[in-house]
Amino acid sequence: MPDRALEGLTIVEVGTRGAASYGAKMLADLGAEVIKVEPPTGDPDRAIGPFPNGEAHPEKSGTYLYLNTNKLGVTLDITGEKGRAVLGKLAAKADALIHDYPPAEAEAAGLTYEAIRAANPDIIMTSVTPFGQSGPQKDFKASDLTMQGAGGWLWINGWPGNPDLPPLKAFGRQPSYQGGLNGALATMGALYGRSRGGPGQHIDISIQECIAAILEFVLPMWSYMELPVVRYGQRPIHPIDMFQCKDGAWIFVLCIEEPQWERLVELMETPEWATWEVAENRFVRASNWDALRPFMEEWVSQWNADDLYRAAQAKRIPFAPVSTLGNLLDSDHLKARGFFVEVVHPEAGTLAHAGAPYKLSETPWEIRLPAPTLGQHNAEVFGGRLGLSDAEIESLEAEGAI
Amino acid sequence: MAGPLDGIRVADFTWVWAGPTNTMQLAHMGAEVIRMETSQHICTLRMFPPWPDSKPGPNRSGYFNQYNQGKRAILLDLGKDEGAAIAKRIVEISDVAVENFAAGVIDRLGFGYDELRKVNDDIIMMSMSGYGATGPDKDYVSYGPAQVPMSGLSSLTGYKDWQPMHVGMSYGDPTAGLHAAFAVIAALFYRERTGKGQYIDMSQWESSMVVIGEAFMQQVMNGAPPERDGSHDLHMAPHNVYRCAGEDRWIAISCASDEEFGALCGVIGKAELASDARFATITERKANEDALDAEVEAWTSQQEPFEAMEKLQAAGVAAYPPLVNQEVMESPHLAARDFWVEHEHPEVGVRRHAGIPWRFSETPLAVKRAAPVMGQDNEYVFGELLGMGSDEIAGLVEREVIR
Repeated sequence: MPDRALEGLTIVEVGTRGAASYGAKMLADLGAEVIKVEPPTGDPDRAIGPFPNGEAHPEKSGTYLYLNTNKLGVTLDITGEKGRAVLGKLAAKADALIHDYPPAEAEAAGLTYEAIRAANPDIIMTSVTPFGQSGPQKDFKASDLTMQGAGGWLWINGWPGNPDLPPLKAFGRQPSYQGGLNGALATMGALYGRSRGGPGQHIDISIQECIAAILEFVLPMWSYMELPVVRYGQRPIHPIDMFQCKDGAWIFVLCIEEPQWERLVELMETPEWATWEVAENRFVRASNWDALRPFMEEWVSQWNADDLYRAAQAKRIPFAPVSTLGNLLDSDHLKARGFFVEVVHPEAGTLAHAGAPYKLSETPWEIRLPAPTLGQHNAEVFGGRLGLSDAEIESLEAEGAI
Repeated sequence: MAGPLDGIRVADFTWVWAGPTNTMQLAHMGAEVIRMETSQHICTLRMFPPWPDSKPGPNRSGYFNQYNQGKRAILLDLGKDEGAAIAKRIVEISDVAVENFAAGVIDRLGFGYDELRKVNDDIIMMSMSGYGATGPDKDYVSYGPAQVPMSGLSSLTGYKDWQPMHVGMSYGDPTAGLHAAFAVIAALFYRERTGKGQYIDMSQWESSMVVIGEAFMQQVMNGAPPERDGSHDLHMAPHNVYRCAGEDRWIAISCASDEEFGALCGVIGKAELASDARFATITERKANEDALDAEVEAWTSQQEPFEAMEKLQAAGVAAYPPLVNQEVMESPHLAARDFWVEHEHPEVGVRRHAGIPWRFSETPLAVKRAAPVMGQDNEYVFGELLGMGSDEIAGLVEREVIR
């Protein structure tokens, strides 16, 4: 009986933009064998860091190390005929191929469903691209910043009431993560379908749609009420706000349900709030938040953040800390759950990584391998798996294909 | 041809946003999802706006209706012994059970994994609490909006030299829901091969941290997090949101290479900037970013945002305006891709909802029906699935078990 949920599955990843890397990592961390195909110059994530002491090194980029755990790494120039033929051989032995080349680049690199299906009619091929495989903007250039704009997310983040401050990007590469996450989910669904007799197929994933599909109540505000949304701060209910505490740390103040608010009024020792019409319920509080906010701010500022967090939670009020990354790495709760895992890499050393978002009782999420060094598994994969002879491999190397 | 989860049934104990996002993904792939609800404690999302004509009602929320598409819903008071017994009969004929209460709540309700296994040995049960099922703070309560500050994402997001920011939505909810759906299907895949179900302990807090993994690497390697710097990027410049002509109009622009920067200089009529010593390479552009942003904005501020987008895209430069909700819903690109779902709904009529962001070539997926009104599928579930007669169902209504 397999020990891992996805043991026995082979996934080929051809990724250059983080999305395919994350999606394939999700599959790898639950036990699939992922063969990551990099250009001979390496995944561009090897160049972006962060690096120890800021010193660039292709085997020490934090982004690459994090996104590529549990994978076998090979190098292959798929822009050339020879490399493309090897990719076909990899695809022929794989259950799925996940990539994030935009349509025109994919076409130029022979990374089309027609070509991959010809090598393996049962394969699940997943293409994660900014705007999908069709539509008038499919070839638009994109970045994580512009995709937050195109998905409707960028508009809603920023400082309300200050027209000089532009819409604000959420940290990092969230559209790429969402694309990878949806890519893993859809690929997993199709693989499960195939295990029950379903067909191989092509899955077209649009990052723009992945964002538009998770915008909370933003889109229905238009289709139900024809109301344009404004930047964060104008919430339909309150309190949902962030304040600085006496010790300089920040706290997130939140009441979703009315009983939580009632318990907060008790905690504040301000019984008169319960009688104020301007604070009557969560919707009324939202309408009057500009007036109520200074009172809340004053009260919060008398507390240290962690004390207030614990006092609120003791009353089952869902306050939360505004965590720094240092706080999180030191968190007793996360330590008890083993969330951060130490990964030993031959060049980068031992580093704690963010770990599993879920714990499966029978088939644990686990780190078996650190991210591969560039071309680390060329011999094992091209020779061992594909059965290429040493002479063939040498010839491909000489031609720059691998 | 059927969706990949056709024939899979999900006993859905979830509410608010994270849990329903999970089960909607499963419905998208063909699973039959049965929401267990009661009028005695109505799902928070049903009570939230937007509502047509500003008129509230548990079946009128666009927020609820967006994230519960394709599901079925029944009314059942789980606090009553008879109600609990019926819920277990539903679990018995289900493949998956999902809940997103705070840790321990589902056990107190009598539907913990050990109890569910007694009626269905190979059930896959997914708990998706805020803090996870173990650890010293496991009993704490949490919601998606709190996951953004808790995860560290707020401390990383913000204008330069300003306070931490939120990210504009309860990002922790959908991120948890999508990760959860992935884990459920992985467990189904395992069950298909081994016959074994399992319990999945998912923490919404943790699923919000895995999407900033590279920032943790920075902290671990160098003892300090990335600094808040607005919409700038360490490796691209220009990379910002620039003011356009008109009130509160903007465009996001990013250049990933010297070539793209050169193309941008051409579009904005300042070809000389590409060879300007201040901007010739990414290193110089980052060092002189304020001056660079001023040059770009001098042009964008005279432009209508969509025209600027077309000009820049024609030259191969990544540019897109931050779309407001109406613009997303009226996007010609999304219309051409047939992204929207517009099913008839008995109380709100035909409304536009975001659809499925994946296209399957051989087994096309479709949202089967609009989000359910409360109790919509009582007859189907109690009658057809559980085989109760109409008298029996009427008795349950009379005894306020179905309510």
